[in-house]
Amino acid sequence: MTTLRRVAGKLGALLLTLFLASLLVFFSRFLVPGDPVSFLLRGRKPSPEAVAQVTAQYGLDLPPWQQYLNWLTGVLQGDFGRSLQYRQDVSQVIGDRLPVTLGLVVMAGTMIAIVGLTAGIVASLNRGKVLDRAVLIGLTVLGAIPSFVGSIVLIAIFAVQLGWFPSFGSGEGFWDTIYHLVLPSIALAIVFVVLVGKVTRSSMVEQLGREHVEVATSRGLKRGTVIRRHVFRNSIGPILTVSGVLVAGLLVASSIVEAAFGLAGIGSLLVASVDRLDFPVVQAIVLLIVTAFVVVNAIIDVLEPWIDPRAAAGAGAR
Amino acid sequence: MTLLDISELTLDLPNGKRLLDGISLTVAEGETVGLVGESGSGKSLTARSVLGLLPSRATMGGSVQLLDQSVLDASRRQLLELRRTRASMIFQDPRAGINPMRTVGDHLTETMRLCEGRSAADARAVAISLMEAVRLPRPEEHLHQYPHELSGGMLQRVMIAGALTSSPRLLICDEPTTALDVTTQAEIIGVLAEQRASRGMGMLFITHDLNLAAAICDRVYVMSAGRVEEQGDARQVFRNPQAAYTKRLVAATPTIVVRDSSTPTDAGTDAAASTNPDAAVGASTGGAASASSTVAVPATEPMLSATGISKTYTRRGKEPVHAVIDASIEIPRGGALGVVGESGSGKSTFARMIVGLEQADAGDIRIAGRERTSVPSSRVERLEHARSVQMVFQDPYLSLDPRITAGKAIEDAMRLHRRLSTTDARERVLELLEQVGLGDVHAQARPRTLSGGQRQRVALARALAIEPDVLVMDEATSALDVSVQAQVLSLVEEIRRERGLTVLFISHDLAVVRRLCDETVVMKTGAIVERGRTIELLGNPQHPYTRLLIDSVPRPEWNLDAVAAEASELEDPVAQN
Repeated sequence: MTTLRRVAGKLGALLLTLFLASLLVFFSRFLVPGDPVSFLLRGRKPSPEAVAQVTAQYGLDLPPWQQYLNWLTGVLQGDFGRSLQYRQDVSQVIGDRLPVTLGLVVMAGTMIAIVGLTAGIVASLNRGKVLDRAVLIGLTVLGAIPSFVGSIVLIAIFAVQLGWFPSFGSGEGFWDTIYHLVLPSIALAIVFVVLVGKVTRSSMVEQLGREHVEVATSRGLKRGTVIRRHVFRNSIGPILTVSGVLVAGLLVASSIVEAAFGLAGIGSLLVASVDRLDFPVVQAIVLLIVTAFVVVNAIIDVLEPWIDPRAAAGAGAR
Repeated sequence: MTLLDISELTLDLPNGKRLLDGISLTVAEGETVGLVGESGSGKSLTARSVLGLLPSRATMGGSVQLLDQSVLDASRRQLLELRRTRASMIFQDPRAGINPMRTVGDHLTETMRLCEGRSAADARAVAISLMEAVRLPRPEEHLHQYPHELSGGMLQRVMIAGALTSSPRLLICDEPTTALDVTTQAEIIGVLAEQRASRGMGMLFITHDLNLAAAICDRVYVMSAGRVEEQGDARQVFRNPQAAYTKRLVAATPTIVVRDSSTPTDAGTDAAASTNPDAAVGASTGGAASASSTVAVPATEPMLSATGISKTYTRRGKEPVHAVIDASIEIPRGGALGVVGESGSGKSTFARMIVGLEQADAGDIRIAGRERTSVPSSRVERLEHARSVQMVFQDPYLSLDPRITAGKAIEDAMRLHRRLSTTDARERVLELLEQVGLGDVHAQARPRTLSGGQRQRVALARALAIEPDVLVMDEATSALDVSVQAQVLSLVEEIRRERGLTVLFISHDLAVVRRLCDETVVMKTGAIVERGRTIELLGNPQHPYTRLLIDSVPRPEWNLDAVAAEASELEDPVAQN
């Protein structure tokens, strides 16, 4: 009952956030210098009639709020308008490129989870020792490598020198795609591992000092069992919160990596579209990223009572 | 048969600090042995060494024998075996000691399932029977509850049940009742004594409370600074201490036992009362006990009067909480009133309303004749309110800013209220510090480098810097060791005598209130149930709850059965709680 009400509340907040985001995404176009019409008619000496015709065709002569309503109605029906550059439906343009980006983000996310958690756990269990310091330094160094540098280094070593992985394109078919995405995912994951690693470490260290951990140890539970059931289990909260924030970062950073590896994903599409003032595409992608971010974080919020039962009691209790 | 034999145990840290210095003690089957000392005495470390729970980089010396097994050189496997079968430990704070993210049932059955390999159903059955043994009301239901859904007393029962799952031969209790209310403490001690007797276990009982040790232990060891200062029959050590340290400790321990006014404490209080005639004026408006004392002096305006104070917290989707119900108190100029109650009695809410941190729903608060009911909203109002009343909080570790030196903290408070030149301010700060028994050195010190008692003195000096009409002390000595507490209490007494300070003293501890306060009110679930002269109230309590509170305080000739009977009697007429 209360769970249902909580979820309903979250859903309401989520829709409100998305609505506000849509306003921001749509109207920010009017703040950006550059006129889409001149882009559409680029290379030609447009006659006033031609300009008027294109303006009317794309609905640019309507007042902004009317344009917004038209756009929003379309978006709600899955129609994001037409791309100015590709002369195709935006949904088509994005749909073609989405699988690559999703694959990239999922693979990078998995790597971040595995490497970050392992590093954090190993460091926390060896707190103050050489291994802890080595892991922390390693994480910090990795975190200081920008994605584009990482991409170039990876290409130079594993694609050019060793020839183990392809350096370009996204391949055909499932396994080939994964094979092609290995280097890009690593390049994307590198920067974010430090975040998950450090949060895991500090969260674990905090829990390790808790009295209930000592109680569990005093009862004769094995060290591994204590770590798993009482330390790691209780550390999940902060790790998940950081992971939620990470989603947006991954999607945005994917544009750099996609450009470096010549992948046709929505990241590189976003960059290209901003460059060419292809605003329907830009709006659609930004809205997509915002939605992904908000939805992931809403899911984490809804999961919270499961992660920490005290949260279910609500702010009013005790 | 000897269960535990510790001999010449030493513990050194890598930095050369010696935390345990030649500890020797034994516990036999069926025996309760007390380990008494103040914080830093090494009593908890000694107890933890029995289970091999030691700082990872410590160097150990001597020997610890648990049954026939040596603990200090046990292998990892032997250590697990020892923890699983021979000894269990109960920790101080059940709220910290039980994983808040797992159910009570998980806590209880965990070791049975994972270490002994019992089936879930089997473990569950054992857990339920143990919960019945420690008298938890609804075992089936508790299995699925999370720790935050249970009260502190119930959680400590869960902790005890959890320690008993392995049928240990030795039960180590590390301050198992320190975090609990006094009436709950009596219940928990009852459960522990019962289980120890029925199982024939040995018990090593660690406490800072000499009274409690004398009440339940056969023998005690008194520890200080890593050494055993004295050992022997519990009551003997308590009544007739031999070591200088034990003598000091016994003298510092406040007591509720009402003797003739020949003790120095009483003489001091009486002297204060006679030199300050106002102090003898009855604090109560309706209490019968005060009738006799109001004869001598004409009624003057009280320094603090709170009339008909109520506060109710409404919670969404839940029953509202009546934190304070129609409470009235009065303190004459220079008087000291104690408010005694257990957690949830509303005593802290009451104090917060008087200090202006919380808005009363109804009632009227006057300090020195000025209206102080509402929470101040503007800067001017806040300053005025602060000049009327200052508060000293429970935990000096939290109430002082760690980055500001003691002197600066006091100076800042002073400068909020008065324009002072730097030299004048410094001088005044020193004066105040000297008044609370500190000096120039301490003015430069940050809280981190001060001891708990010193910090509380700084907090006191800061409150006094504003020269308030009324000083509210909310459990201001509860976090301190007894000897430090004694120092702070005599300090407050002295200041009260010298400056005629009016004090409202909030505490759970009847013995502490007795030391300081002429008058006392007892609060229970938001309402004042009894009031009167402290000595009379302690000597001849009228309300059954006051009687229960007094009888729950441990003492050498403690009768737990009588306390339990009183508690159950009290529960019947009072339907709630």
